[in-house]
Amino acid sequence: MASALKTYGTLIGFVLVVVFFWIEIPDTFMTAKNWLNISQQVSMLAVVAFTMTIVMVMGDFDLSVGSMASLAGIVAALAFRDGHGVWVGVALALIVGLLGGLLNGALVAYVGILPFVATLGTLTVYSGLAFLVSGGKTIFGRDIPQAFSGFARSGISLTETVTLPSLTIVAALVLAAVWFTLEQTTFGRRLYAIGGNMEATRLAGIRVRRLRFFAFGLSGLGAATAGLMYASRVASANPTQGSGLMLDAIAAVFLGMTMSEEGEPHVAATLVGVLILGVLGNGLTQMSIDSYVREVLIGSIIVLAVAASSLGKAKG
Amino acid sequence: MTLLSIRGLDKSFAGARALSGASLEVRAGEVHALMGENGAGKSTLIKVLAGVVKPDAGTVEIDGESVTIASPADALRLGLRFIHQELSVVPHLSVAENIFLGRDYPRRWGVMIDWDGLNRAASAVLAGLGVDHIRPARKMARLTVGDQMLVKIATAFQDISLGDGAPALLYVMDEPTAALSAEESRRLFAVIRRLREAGAGIIYVSHRLDEVMELADRLTVLRDGATVATRDIAGLQKLEVIELMIGRRFAEGYPPRLAPVSAEVALGVEHLSTAYLQDVSFDVRKGEILGLAGLEGAGQSEVIRAIVGADGGHDGAVSLAGRPVRIDEPVSAWQKGLAFLPRERRQEGLVSSASIAGNVSLPHLDDLVRFGLVLDRAAEAEQAVELGRQVKLKAKGPRQKVRELSGGNQQKVVFARAIAGKPEVLLLDEPTRGVDVGARFDIHALLRQLTAEGKAVVLASSDLPELVYMADRVIVFRDGKVATIVSTEGLDQAGLAALCFGAPAAPSA
Repeated sequence: MASALKTYGTLIGFVLVVVFFWIEIPDTFMTAKNWLNISQQVSMLAVVAFTMTIVMVMGDFDLSVGSMASLAGIVAALAFRDGHGVWVGVALALIVGLLGGLLNGALVAYVGILPFVATLGTLTVYSGLAFLVSGGKTIFGRDIPQAFSGFARSGISLTETVTLPSLTIVAALVLAAVWFTLEQTTFGRRLYAIGGNMEATRLAGIRVRRLRFFAFGLSGLGAATAGLMYASRVASANPTQGSGLMLDAIAAVFLGMTMSEEGEPHVAATLVGVLILGVLGNGLTQMSIDSYVREVLIGSIIVLAVAASSLGKAKG
Repeated sequence: MTLLSIRGLDKSFAGARALSGASLEVRAGEVHALMGENGAGKSTLIKVLAGVVKPDAGTVEIDGESVTIASPADALRLGLRFIHQELSVVPHLSVAENIFLGRDYPRRWGVMIDWDGLNRAASAVLAGLGVDHIRPARKMARLTVGDQMLVKIATAFQDISLGDGAPALLYVMDEPTAALSAEESRRLFAVIRRLREAGAGIIYVSHRLDEVMELADRLTVLRDGATVATRDIAGLQKLEVIELMIGRRFAEGYPPRLAPVSAEVALGVEHLSTAYLQDVSFDVRKGEILGLAGLEGAGQSEVIRAIVGADGGHDGAVSLAGRPVRIDEPVSAWQKGLAFLPRERRQEGLVSSASIAGNVSLPHLDDLVRFGLVLDRAAEAEQAVELGRQVKLKAKGPRQKVRELSGGNQQKVVFARAIAGKPEVLLLDEPTRGVDVGARFDIHALLRQLTAEGKAVVLASSDLPELVYMADRVIVFRDGKVATIVSTEGLDQAGLAALCFGAPAAPSA
């Protein structure tokens, strides 16, 4: 019983949340349209959480993802304002994300700073840079090309009323890529080994520092991707718009970690974590419940889920 | 007057006997050395006294009263104090604060700390031990390990001077001089003698026979978990002590050599030097097992770690089959055909959250990919099954988690990893430590088979019979230097032990 609760507790909790909203909001909640809506709402968070999973597999954190998302959006918008095309802006933003992530990786892996401290520092740096290059202003309106902002509104029509949003597709592609990387490649298996025992992995001839360096690069790239998605969705960029992503992303990974026997992150489990957060947000909004209540609930759920899984461990 | 009396202590861990009927008697005002080989039961006995390990049977009496030590707090209350290498000090606080940690500091106006008063009190405590070179206001972190140890003793000592319900006082010192310089050791001995004069009992655990002969009044020798003898130091010979420790064991239980050693050199090491090693040179030939012996920390492990680049670079040259190689990190060692089995199985060897297959394949993942990056899981599992068979691994299957295996089988997993890449040279650091008899035999048989195939093996071990019966030659290390290189032909355990302890060799060796 205890071990079942430990492994499936989070999943059961997710089902209960879904059932609750299904009963409370019978007309609109359990519809294809609403679920696709949820998928679009969580797509940015999902991308950040999936790539965050890569670093958390090694037992590390990346706190800088939120401000990196903001910075990436700003970089793209500034490129647009200077008259560059959509692809140039997107490419620049992704490059900034990758480089910012690699800087985190260099600080953690080669300089040897704790990930918490290193990425707390770069969080502030990236956030400051976003303000600096944008002059603290939101970039919107005619500066943002139609082709860019139109992406988030586009999708693949499934029926006359139901559309699979493009942002959902992006998130799904990132999910597939991260799953493939972590579960199928030797790179991913090495990251799991580092998370299990870094010293033993190093002595077994794995280039631990290089792998940590690149893994943080991927996290930065994911953050920039999410920043672009956000900017496209709101057709604007401002230097704080990604700031909520970091805590939610870490929360989603933690929720997912409670589902595995060894307490290690898996990207499929992270997806469940993301959906719990997304469904709660969606359902509570539809019930017109204050967003602060959502925060209290989400915080409590995380603590409960982690407590349940560690209780199970202490007994087992 | 008898301070401490232990009788009939039994303790088993997962079926392996650590103590069987051990006894020990310590008088007030004596330094009592506790000796024995690694695995003889010394540390288990100490852990029982510290309240960390609960014995299966046996009695502990302090001052003639039977006591139960169920926790470290009990041990503290009963007047037992433990001094060992890994000291629990607070490095950021001053010497005086460390001494008075956990009790009220002298105060001024009821609120402010009276720093002068605190430092004066600390000075007084230190002076009571004859220590006058440590300033109490100094940060603990800035002291040498030896001085930190003196402060730690002072901390324990002022408990008596304050009379905090400490009826008997017994200090247990576990290898206290392992990290100390000669000068620091001398100071420590002076303090220990003061403690003895003050009527305390001291249990002194050390591998350093010379120290024990100089400092102790009596000694008790443990072997295989039982007390072999308690003797007065006066009139005792070093060789007698060694014989007591190792007993008379036989060559039974070791597989015979299968093939002669080749003349070709597999691994050459010249003038290897690091922070711990000084000018170490040797070579190992194909088909040879070269043993590395010495007291704990004399350099055996460090040589292996230096060769595989576990601690970064080193001075000196390493060559494989005559070709010079540069190895600064473990990854190059594996790539160049060196396999490494680290000393601490759990901390350095295994990823215990991973499966058997995942652990075996770890250094060899590049050989198990399809399309350049996809891990071929079937091949990985197959590799684990095949190697598992070779090392006689007992497991449910290649995907079983390593943490579910017994110590011996875990070690076989690390071994399987080492031989998976068909290495030319194996560097093994305590490969049979904490391994049951059956697994140990399997590992020894495997070593014979590997050397018969022309592999070279470097075997660091604290198990003297293992070295005497398995190795062809043995290097004895002392203080990071090669003391001597001997052939095991005609060498017995006592001879090798004498070399390790730096005692004059027995005539037969």
